[in-house]
Amino acid sequence: MRDAFSAAVVRAARADDRVLLLTGDHGYSLFDAIRREFPDRFLNGGVAEQNLVGVAAGLAKGGFRPIVYGLSAFIPIRVLEQIKIDVCYEDLPVVFIGDGAGFVYSHLGTSHQCTEDVAALRAMPGLVILSPADAAETSACLALALSLNRPVYVRLGKADLGAVHASPPDVRLGGLCPVRTGDGPLAWIGTGAAVSTALAASGRWPGSSVWSAPCLKPLDEDAIAEVCRRHRAVVVVEEHSVYGGLGGAVAEIAGKRAPTWVCRVGVRDRFSRACGTYSYLLREHGLDAESVVARVEEFLRQMPAGVMPATYTARAA
Amino acid sequence: MTPKFEPSELRQTILRMAHAGSSVHIACAFSLVEILAVLYRSHLRLGPEPNNPDRDYLVLSKGHGVMAQYACMHELGWLTNADLDNYFADGTHLKGLSDAHVPGLEVSSGSLGHGLSVGVGLALAAHRRGTGQRCFAVVGDGEMNEGAIWEALLFASHFRLGNLTVIVDANGFQAMGRTDEVLSLGRIADKLGAFGLDVREVDGHNEAALDTAIRAAITGPADRPKAIVARTVKGKGVSFMEGDNRWHYTRLTGETHARAVRELAAA
Repeated sequence: MRDAFSAAVVRAARADDRVLLLTGDHGYSLFDAIRREFPDRFLNGGVAEQNLVGVAAGLAKGGFRPIVYGLSAFIPIRVLEQIKIDVCYEDLPVVFIGDGAGFVYSHLGTSHQCTEDVAALRAMPGLVILSPADAAETSACLALALSLNRPVYVRLGKADLGAVHASPPDVRLGGLCPVRTGDGPLAWIGTGAAVSTALAASGRWPGSSVWSAPCLKPLDEDAIAEVCRRHRAVVVVEEHSVYGGLGGAVAEIAGKRAPTWVCRVGVRDRFSRACGTYSYLLREHGLDAESVVARVEEFLRQMPAGVMPATYTARAA
Repeated sequence: MTPKFEPSELRQTILRMAHAGSSVHIACAFSLVEILAVLYRSHLRLGPEPNNPDRDYLVLSKGHGVMAQYACMHELGWLTNADLDNYFADGTHLKGLSDAHVPGLEVSSGSLGHGLSVGVGLALAAHRRGTGQRCFAVVGDGEMNEGAIWEALLFASHFRLGNLTVIVDANGFQAMGRTDEVLSLGRIADKLGAFGLDVREVDGHNEAALDTAIRAAITGPADRPKAIVARTVKGKGVSFMEGDNRWHYTRLTGETHARAVRELAAA
């Protein structure tokens, strides 16, 4: 996924000489390709993210198309106000890349982990939020981001979980991408690295449909409502807080358009407790496939009788 | 008629707005009147209308002084008398802080420490394109409490933005008191010099001195950003406002308005 991102940046730079890549001293080796081909289109603004976002705004006002790269713990979290006032308020074409979202930096602790970025950004007027699940979605998301001519945040999470799509996904503003079709009682919607988890966990309930949401804002209300209507419950999985993320967004649309049961699987309002591998931290937060199965089983058990087939709500033997 | 940007008239325009809108921040605007007057009169290449793509940029990072810029825009004919007299009326567009949606204002500031970075980006864009556009960014000394200001200065020096001039409206006060007492900046000019800027220090109400300093900044070394520390008086021009920080927040009454106008008209 990082290679896909790097290649997509080079393609963007080739296609449009207004594209500049700005970093706050992050992304060692990630930008070798663009630095080789376009050394003067790469700017390292140093460990000074607030200024970097303001500079990006000025560059955008001056006719450039900046891509601002950082770790999601810093871009957007450290620079929320710059994103709000310098960029979003003027609807400037600046693309923010928040890398390492979720628990990627599992050994480094809370300062480098980020499960609140989507919640913090959803309320920024006019900002588009993209969250690709694999390399193909990453390329498509970056191309989409640069085509929109407005502020966009691209959330990049765990990068090496493999492809979730067999064929190139059709990533559109607001749209869902089908990952597995199914007409069973459960629909699953994941975003970012959690799409792989949703795919794995959903195997426990054959017939589940699985969708990737590479675009978290805006969300196509018709598409979400359609998924809600076709199934009896929707499970949303994300490596982000249960507050203010995709689960909340789906529940908002369901409540308005197609009332249904929504199981929000995400980070339960707490920081990581321990240090360990990425897989370890997913388990700690109940976000590995096995824990997600358990969480969904619990959710199903709490549903009133008659909504789901009896086999779904029975306590596992 | 060629606009004169005569300081006491600009201050009367500020009073007219502040009285109409019952606005605060009068003293913040008064301290930078001569700075803006000299820039608008002699240095900014703006074109006849706002937002000319080739214009020089005047970035008011210290957004609290926006009424001084409105007064200059009124002289240019970019704001009407009705704009002044309806200041802060429901549904109008001139806000109490600089707002980039107003044609003629470059940045949305007032949350301090933002505008300079955007100005640095504008200067960098012009520098990369080789357009010859200049950027003048006005920051307050109180605003220099913000860390982002110093990030921006580092960046401007490192990227050798010779087309950027940072003008500090050093009126010695911030919202709650004297800058020396709230969070002392020490010797501002020395700090700016240490950050690599080509620095001058002038009496910020002496138009000839400001003019000389700005001219020197424009013609100075092409590979260094410039700074002008303009020593100013908060509330300058009206005796009972000068150096009295209550005029950061105080609104005019009919009586104080009349007294202030009388003083300025007699000046």
